[in-house]
Amino acid sequence: MSLFGTTSGFGTSGTSMFGSATTDNHNPMKDIEVTSSPDDSIGCLSFSPPTLPGNFLIAGSWANDVRCWEVQDSGQTIPKAQQMHTGPVLDVCWSDDGSKVFTASCDKTAKMWDLSSNQAIQIAQHDAPVKTIHWIKAPNYSCVMTGSWDKTLKFWDTRSSNPMMVLQLPERCYCADVIYPMAVVATAERGLIVYQLENQPSEFRRIESPLKHQHRCVAIFKDKQNKPTGFALGSIEGRVAIHYINPPNPAKDNFTFKCHRSNGTNTSAPQDIYAVNGIAFHPVHGTLATVGSDGRFSFWDKDARTKLKTSEQLDQPISACCFNHNGNIFAYASSYDWSKGHEFYNPQKKNYIFLRNAAEELKPRNKK
Amino acid sequence: MAICQFFLQGRCRFGDRCWNEHPGARGAGGGRQQPQQQSSGNNRRGWNTTSQRYSSVIQPSSFSKSTPWGGSRDQEKPSFDSFDSGASTNRKEGFGLSENPFASLSPDEQKDEKKLLEGIVKDMEVWESSGQWMFSVYSPVKKKPNISGFTDISPEELRLEYHNFLTSNNLQSYLNSVQHLINQWRNRVNELKSLNISTKVALKCLWKIYTHLSPKIYGPDCSKFIILLSDVKDGVNQAAPAFGFGSSQAATFVSPGFPVNNSSSDNAQNFSFKTNSGFATASSGSPAGFGSSPAFGAAASTSSAVSTSAPAFGFGKPEVTSAASFSFKSPAASSFGSPGFSGLPTSLATGSIRAPVTPAFGSGSSVAGFGSPGSHSHTAFSKPSSDTFGNSSISTSLLASSSIFATDNVLFTPRDKLTVEELEQFQSKKFTLGK
Repeated sequence: MSLFGTTSGFGTSGTSMFGSATTDNHNPMKDIEVTSSPDDSIGCLSFSPPTLPGNFLIAGSWANDVRCWEVQDSGQTIPKAQQMHTGPVLDVCWSDDGSKVFTASCDKTAKMWDLSSNQAIQIAQHDAPVKTIHWIKAPNYSCVMTGSWDKTLKFWDTRSSNPMMVLQLPERCYCADVIYPMAVVATAERGLIVYQLENQPSEFRRIESPLKHQHRCVAIFKDKQNKPTGFALGSIEGRVAIHYINPPNPAKDNFTFKCHRSNGTNTSAPQDIYAVNGIAFHPVHGTLATVGSDGRFSFWDKDARTKLKTSEQLDQPISACCFNHNGNIFAYASSYDWSKGHEFYNPQKKNYIFLRNAAEELKPRNKK
Repeated sequence: MAICQFFLQGRCRFGDRCWNEHPGARGAGGGRQQPQQQSSGNNRRGWNTTSQRYSSVIQPSSFSKSTPWGGSRDQEKPSFDSFDSGASTNRKEGFGLSENPFASLSPDEQKDEKKLLEGIVKDMEVWESSGQWMFSVYSPVKKKPNISGFTDISPEELRLEYHNFLTSNNLQSYLNSVQHLINQWRNRVNELKSLNISTKVALKCLWKIYTHLSPKIYGPDCSKFIILLSDVKDGVNQAAPAFGFGSSQAATFVSPGFPVNNSSSDNAQNFSFKTNSGFATASSGSPAGFGSSPAFGAAASTSSAVSTSAPAFGFGKPEVTSAASFSFKSPAASSFGSPGFSGLPTSLATGSIRAPVTPAFGSGSSVAGFGSPGSHSHTAFSKPSSDTFGNSSISTSLLASSSIFATDNVLFTPRDKLTVEELEQFQSKKFTLGK
């Protein structure tokens, strides 16, 4: 396995060595900083599945690379390997056995990275950048699902260059999530489609968007029996919608909440509204985390409908987040997400990935 | 036209929408109506019932209240869409309406619209002042289609454009395009904020149209869908719910089986049934026997939609919902259309996600791509699809319907052969062709 060229192999645990001056706000939460972070904005993060001992973190960035770190229990992060695409990497995911990593890129391809041999081969092709990639493990089939800006959803057996299945989307795919047997895809023009994956993927329902603006991120949540039962949808308008697929009482059970806004609603000054860049559900507690362009992350309990915590504001937007398989680690990436256009893009600015202990803070609020 | 007896009694439920003549209502009567917007509900008692009748069309689920955290409540308001696809000026010119659309609204509807418009203005103000992402579509009410005039561009797409232009050393054109997009956005926001008379009139009229159709018909692509219609229909200046099909267009398929029905809407349902026979007659030459609604639904599912997007998309959208809004009223239709189909009211859908209905149609190759890339996909999924049939509770009806579909194509018009106005007529509550 190759090490990254830039810094040394062993990470520095604890707070960052850089910018320890009081004015520097790049890590106000004093979280663990991942070493050898990518050189450009991080678009996606993914932790290894429970089948793999230990924790491995994958990050895809706009520097066209995908990097892998081992995260040790002490908090040390060890860069392990790296692969390149010919375009920015928009999404990454793991196979269920933890042996392969799938990466989706703006170069209209998706690749399968075999970690043991450190070889990556192309497994998918689209007519436009591939925005989402997910591994589907069903009892009778396994495949990779790729969603692209070419308005298609393709399913790939990694051994063949032809897709197993192609489903048309009403618009460009913006975000997706898969928890077998359910998949949710949110598209441009506020499109929202739920798929069922049993036997073969098929469209289950088109849902009218509970949000009024562009969809940005989506995450499926499970019920007490560990079955996927609904999803959280975030938009560019600082709002998240919680939507159950078949609730007993849709009017009461589905709701939206505002987040990632500055100022309270009480002040007369106009609020600043930020996009929700990522949503992740804690695998054990079922509580959720949202990260936004305002440079904050927040933890929420959707059943108690309360906010659990909001972080301090980082000096950059938080562009991606994820939990590890047992929910002990919350990783979030601090890098520019283009929310204010090219004028605010500073290629020199360092991009960070932070790791936070999430075991305690995401415990659900006890209902009265 | 016949003279409307109800109007003569002062209690016509349809007012301007009525197909019968209201003597003195147009032109001269306009002056009578205009100053009495508030009291129009009084001297036309029928209006309240009309608004209730229309509001019953709106599925309850689409007006579910939401409880956002932070304490504020979102008001669910009826929504609307506009035909405009960017340049709004041409739309206004098409509005040489002689009648005042305000007059046909009950006070409740007017209040709703007022709230709606205020909501839009407020949203626009917030959007401008908040610094949120500009290149996003917008809808004034959740679960309703987008207002046209806004383009949906994600930050990643914009950033990719930047990188591409950077590498080709053409940053200036990127900057120009971005500036252009920003200007477009600002213009549109200002338009919606200022809500001058013609914008208001356009929006209100379209809201009326929209709320009278099943909201489930409209998926995310609805604005394009409507634009398509308006391209065919020569603008918005047709009367509201009727979509004003010109007689020249109607002539192509107004077969003898078409009663030009001017009576009340109770006949609409039977009427549309006959209409479909008429369609089948006109296009395929075979007489009735059209009544097999599962077959019709099956046909709808396999042919491409009116919109230009590929089959599976259209598959999910108007066909199935129109099957629901169709007044065939045969139980087979509802059970047929139900599980797993998108857009249908949830009461029809089976409870669990595990209702693999659509694969049944997948085998009929309605979904683009599935089954097409060679035998590979068949081997991958052929076994599961037979399981699908076995597992599904409505498998027998599905099997029956797909066999009907396979053999009886001539009995109905595949969806791609329907013209745009036929499609629209299928979906509207009242059939107004040949008016």
